[in-house]
Amino acid sequence: MNLAILLYENRKAKLLNILKIGINPFKKFVSTGEIEEELGLVQSRENLLNVIMNTFDKDENIILPIIGGVGIGKTHLYWSLKKRLHFYNTFYISLENVYRKFYYNMYSEYIEEMGGGEVLRSITNKLCSEWGATERKFGFFHIADIDKVRKSAFETLKSNFDNKIALNDVINAITSHQLDPFKRVEAERWLLGELMDIRDLSHLNILYDLKRKSYAFTMLKIIIENSELRSVLFIDDFEKIVSIMKGDKKSEEIFDPSWLYGEEHIQSPESRSAQKALDKILDLQKIRGLRIIITLKSIDALEEIKTIIREKNNQLLATMKEPIILSNFLENDIFQFYKENMKTFLKNNNYLEFFEEFPDSYFPLSEKILKYIHTCSQGNPREIIKFFIKIFNEIIFSNNNFDNILTYYENQC
Amino acid sequence: MTENHIVLFDAIKKIKQIGEFSGSIISKTFDPQNYVIFSDSINISDDEGIIISEGLQVGFEEIFNEVIAFSRKNQYSWKILEEFGLDEQSLEYSILIPEEIMQLYDEGQFSDAFPFTINMLHTAGLYLKNYRTKIDHLNFFKGEILKNPVGLLANGGVCVADRVAIDHRADPVFYDTILIGRNKDDELDASYEPLLNVKIDDKIITSIVILGIENLKE
Repeated sequence: MNLAILLYENRKAKLLNILKIGINPFKKFVSTGEIEEELGLVQSRENLLNVIMNTFDKDENIILPIIGGVGIGKTHLYWSLKKRLHFYNTFYISLENVYRKFYYNMYSEYIEEMGGGEVLRSITNKLCSEWGATERKFGFFHIADIDKVRKSAFETLKSNFDNKIALNDVINAITSHQLDPFKRVEAERWLLGELMDIRDLSHLNILYDLKRKSYAFTMLKIIIENSELRSVLFIDDFEKIVSIMKGDKKSEEIFDPSWLYGEEHIQSPESRSAQKALDKILDLQKIRGLRIIITLKSIDALEEIKTIIREKNNQLLATMKEPIILSNFLENDIFQFYKENMKTFLKNNNYLEFFEEFPDSYFPLSEKILKYIHTCSQGNPREIIKFFIKIFNEIIFSNNNFDNILTYYENQC
Repeated sequence: MTENHIVLFDAIKKIKQIGEFSGSIISKTFDPQNYVIFSDSINISDDEGIIISEGLQVGFEEIFNEVIAFSRKNQYSWKILEEFGLDEQSLEYSILIPEEIMQLYDEGQFSDAFPFTINMLHTAGLYLKNYRTKIDHLNFFKGEILKNPVGLLANGGVCVADRVAIDHRADPVFYDTILIGRNKDDELDASYEPLLNVKIDDKIITSIVILGIENLKE
């Protein structure tokens, strides 16, 4: 009979074996609004969240610019913020991808963030109650007079909305959703932002679905202002709008409209839609309680945007707060970042014992290599992750001896 | 007298609260008429008696030897005799349903769980059993859900619910119900029941009227 007792386990060798399976602890060097980031912020950035939350507590309607270069972690900040803001609906729009159908896309994101139909139902229920749908006839019976409720809703809201046709149709949809059992299903589809054909729309007695700018804006305003939670809109890559507005001079066009209309007043279709997107974003300030964060790559871009806004309406600048600058990682941050990342990796691979045995180790890298990476990348988080990916790929896939790889990088310093 | 002072008038327990009250009020006349009156206000004074300026009276009446259910909007008034009149025309009790019960009742009303509820256009009798008459349409509505039932209890109580389902044994199951009844000391009380299962053979319920939506809107 074989009886074996494990007297000693080489945990470092075991970690290398796990890595050799082919899993790199560092994979993603670009954060996006779609894929959630697991890691929190490094120590030097922790205070940023408090600053942002304090700013939100002080003012209902603000635009808060966050400035940081490429790869500095602006999108990553969105995920950390989202995790911290428990009592907010925090939703994300990147102008890199979305500047057309801005309100419609924003509405879809908001509904998804709210949790879809359930919350929407409670908001429409609350609204209908406020508009008199729960009035009890003879003290008991809810005989909702839909026309009366709609009239009361319109009277209550009309002063806050410019587009009365959109308002009327939005009220139609909300009241049908709550009070008309024969239209409830279609009304819910409309409210969830589904695109609808003319038959469904005429059944609801509504002209357009929420792809229509004014309809999506009216719904956004009503839903955000009546939501139990406060709302934060995170607009990433804001300077994109300025770059599109300026237009790409180098691009060749088959038909150059300046031949007909002169150089000064010609705008490309792209530039015109970027201009419209900016107007739409500025219009969002009419939504009570919506806090907006915009991210930009430089102070110059912010100044440029301020100039454009000033030309449109100087008063809008009053809600724009002083920018928050995201700086590069300090040296200590890279150690914390590396350790947190490795900890998550080991946890996912069910090997946290390694950390219990070597709580202060940076294995398989070393303090010297981490310092080297920090210096080479100048503390830029994206560059740091790229370095990690490169080194770990070498450890995992190259035929070189592990010690030789380490020595090579240590000697680079 | 029950908590919250919800009993505004009780001819049996000789209770009368003088004043003008508003809210959700259920009043009932003595047996055998047993009319139930729903109203949102009532005025009780020694001089003018009890006045319900606009109430919905619900019950059964006999027209040309036929007993039919009705609901009727009207103004009602009764004189309060010193010894509290106990004839069939007079008011047995008026009870103000506490707001917390009404809030539960309202929440139940907006439930999406029962989308296929039959809304009767005109008030109709679903069930009546007394020493003279028997109406029983429970079998006909087996498996259906009917909106706005009002039931009379054998102990002089009233049950008003958002809907009633008729189960496979042709017994009514009331959902989102306000119950008014007398306890063993004959004191009136009101309670809320999300679900109330009644066996018709137990003779707890003596009649059920389904209110018509058109009659309520009038």
